[in-house]
Amino acid sequence: MKRFTIVFVVCAFLVAAAGAVDAQVKMPQLKYRERTLPNGLRVLSVLDKSSPTVTINVWYHVGSKDDPDHRSGFAHLFEHIMFKSTKNMKAEMMDRLTEDVGGNNNATTQDDATIYYETIPANYLETLLWAEAERLSSLTVDDENFKSERAVVEEEFRQGILAPPNGRFFYAMDVRSWNAHPYKRPGIGSIEDLEAATIADVIKFHNTYYRPDNATVIVVGDFDQKQLDTWVNKYFGPIPKPNLPLPRVNITEPARTGEKRFMEYGPIVPLKGVALTYLVPSSKSDDAAALRMAATVLSQGRSSRLYQSLVYQQQLALSANAGADLREDAGMFTFTAFAANGKKPEDVEAALKAEIKKLQDAPALAAELEKAKNQIVTGQLRQRETSLGKSNALGRAAVLLGDPNRINTDLDRLQAVTAADIQRVAQKYLTDNNRYVIYYLPESERPKTSGNNPSTNSSKGGEAK
Amino acid sequence: MRNKASNLILATLILAVCAIGSVAQTAQATPPPPTAPHSTVFPKPVEKNLPNGLRVIVIPRTEMPLVTAQLLIKNGGEVDPADLAGVADMTASLLTRGTNTKSATQIAEAIEALGGTLNSSAVWDSSSVSTNVMSPRIGQALEIMADVVRNPSFKDEEIERLRRQTLNGLRGALATGSSIARFVAWRVVYRDSPYGHSLSGTPESVPRIKRDDIAKIHSTYYRPDNAILVIGGDVTAANGFELAQKYFGDWQNPPNALPKLQITAPESTAAGRRILVIDQPNAGQTTVLAVRSAISRDNPEYFRGIVTNAVLSGYSGRLNWEIRVKRGLSYGAASSLDMRRSAGSFMASAQTKHPSGAEVASLTLAEISKLATGELLDSELSTRKASLLGGFARSMETTNGVVSQFASLAMYGVPLDEINRYVANVQAIKPADVKSFAASRINADSTSVVIVGNAKEFLPDLQKQFSNVEVILASDLDLNSASLKKTVSKN
Repeated sequence: MKRFTIVFVVCAFLVAAAGAVDAQVKMPQLKYRERTLPNGLRVLSVLDKSSPTVTINVWYHVGSKDDPDHRSGFAHLFEHIMFKSTKNMKAEMMDRLTEDVGGNNNATTQDDATIYYETIPANYLETLLWAEAERLSSLTVDDENFKSERAVVEEEFRQGILAPPNGRFFYAMDVRSWNAHPYKRPGIGSIEDLEAATIADVIKFHNTYYRPDNATVIVVGDFDQKQLDTWVNKYFGPIPKPNLPLPRVNITEPARTGEKRFMEYGPIVPLKGVALTYLVPSSKSDDAAALRMAATVLSQGRSSRLYQSLVYQQQLALSANAGADLREDAGMFTFTAFAANGKKPEDVEAALKAEIKKLQDAPALAAELEKAKNQIVTGQLRQRETSLGKSNALGRAAVLLGDPNRINTDLDRLQAVTAADIQRVAQKYLTDNNRYVIYYLPESERPKTSGNNPSTNSSKGGEAK
Repeated sequence: MRNKASNLILATLILAVCAIGSVAQTAQATPPPPTAPHSTVFPKPVEKNLPNGLRVIVIPRTEMPLVTAQLLIKNGGEVDPADLAGVADMTASLLTRGTNTKSATQIAEAIEALGGTLNSSAVWDSSSVSTNVMSPRIGQALEIMADVVRNPSFKDEEIERLRRQTLNGLRGALATGSSIARFVAWRVVYRDSPYGHSLSGTPESVPRIKRDDIAKIHSTYYRPDNAILVIGGDVTAANGFELAQKYFGDWQNPPNALPKLQITAPESTAAGRRILVIDQPNAGQTTVLAVRSAISRDNPEYFRGIVTNAVLSGYSGRLNWEIRVKRGLSYGAASSLDMRRSAGSFMASAQTKHPSGAEVASLTLAEISKLATGELLDSELSTRKASLLGGFARSMETTNGVVSQFASLAMYGVPLDEINRYVANVQAIKPADVKSFAASRINADSTSVVIVGNAKEFLPDLQKQFSNVEVILASDLDLNSASLKKTVSKN
């Protein structure tokens, strides 16, 4: 078991305006236990008796980037199928074992990983370990369930991408920003690719990626450690480690060599959108903490730089955000803003660039840096209020950052970021040659002459394969 | 393909078991049963009234060094004058945008320097300001919160800025089918009563709001004898009361009496039922809502209501089961009871592809109707109660969640210890109670339907089911009255 206590000291001058000065806030350490079964399954557990529940969180190291060719959206569709039948479980039995006894369940498909979870009354832990082992080892799928669930995912596509006025804009961001890496395919996929998926694809995908040596089981809550170990051994221990190689995406996104500009159009665009994206390193990079701090300084809260400049003072935009979207293989530093009615996207773009230049030309103020650190720490405290939040954070550290203890050490990295670091990463990555620009405009503004390559109703945008 | 693996499984099982040193087991075909249940304890609030009438509730909870404080005003959007929809929300939103001593930017800087958040808005029956911050800084956060509640400056410049932001936000909402459907549904069920308008106003009402209207809402309703302060998290009761006294103890009530509001909202009837289509030809999906009057928060049938709703709603509730799980027609179907101080409504909703709009409407009404007329087994009811109780327990996993649960009880004058009877009250509901609630309170025949989407793809099917379908083009929609249709005026 590892021990870490992160103590954090607040600079006195920073809070002087708000009143008395406080000394320190302790970020409670997360004590976890780690072990690996002979079949490669990793198990992490955290005791937390604050409520009589337990959360099981199973991470599979396979995500949307692993969608088979011409099957964009497949990893996510597959995630839905995992709630159907197994050798010993009828379709929807997972809901019977969770929802029907006062628990809940869900799953999420990310670019790099797929995460299944349930929070259940603590006395159902063994039952659900059995069920998770079932769907890891003996998923079954029939035509009727497959087709009805695929229809559900198509409705999810419509609800997420086609129904919201800005859905197509956010959909276009990955499509336009990535050149070679499969991150360019949106995780929700396209209706055509979803329609092309077959049961054979499901079986192959399960055989390839759903294996104990590609899984991390995380248990957080009220349990007995010895009992947990016994049950994990009993239900997961017998699952064989396949003799097949585990494929990994090894495509490197090439460096950008100049600005590119894209116009996207939507049928209903109440406010025009502007996005700037910059290719940056992965979440494992030494620059990751500085990039996250830069995004926080730029756009967290109404005192942030983008809000103050674009929304408050110039009133050019209804909202303006910066984000460090750092993935396992590479990252994207993004700016998105929606122009206030009557304002020009060109002016919004210029205002965003002015803020980027400011970040490059001078170091952030000490007060801004301390504020960002306080915001990040408070955010992490909020995340760790629930067993689900704790297990998500632990899973991310273990699976995507390669070391579960990053859950305890990442704050040190953020605390160590200096104003000079932020300025340096801004100068290094937020360059003209590394910028792609995406405008989102009403269909009525599409130039009449360029009839080809229409933006999509139900499929991906122009440059995608 | 799964069968071929079984030999391998056995072989590995033996190896694995040797290595782990456990007892060999064969794969198990049925789920292991639960072990003995662990007990649940809900947090315990303590409360007292300050001499100025402010009710203070503290809920100590020490798991995380976080505190949430919420100051509630017991009035919200229902006090908007008929032609000034949105004024209560605008008033609440302006609180954090300038006080007599601090600018909007200074307020944001002060709270965010602490790592905290400060939000304010008005909903039905209440307005609130809330802060969430690391516990050692709760004093500083409360000082800021008290200042914005008590001394807002309502500067013209900030009013104009917020007015533009609100109008831009409304442009987005009125372009989004699911939001349009909700705006329309409130008008359909509450008609022209004070609960029927959009909380954030309309493109017509927002430009009419003047500084005096805002200042009047503040001076009338923001007073200690109309307020509740709820503090929850890593704070002791003594410390919570001390902070309340320090920052709100000298808050004075105005001399005039608090206005007494009488709100009556219409009861849905079969004769008054509307089948309303909002035609949005370039929409990406269709939103289907079924809506009708139901019960207010103080109705003794509260627990019958929430259990009845739980049978219909939730992942394995009947609506989602029929619409999503069985037929793949939607990503999700759900329902809710909206129980306000003087009235309430029931709403079921789902989004679907345009051609399925009529089918989803008919499935939704059929499930509502079946609840009153069909069978409900104890076994089904007990799973839906478990789901409801589990969700209730999970809602109190966070500091914000605990505060909002107790704030909601306090807001509606429900004794705080009702939380300890919640489980028993839910468990006491029998199938007959659900049937009677469904028949008397959410009868399908008097439930209206609102569908927003590309009408030509579902209208013919809908007209086969209903004879009185009204169609309004989205661009002709007028949310300022229950007729919902712009009147053509020629100058």
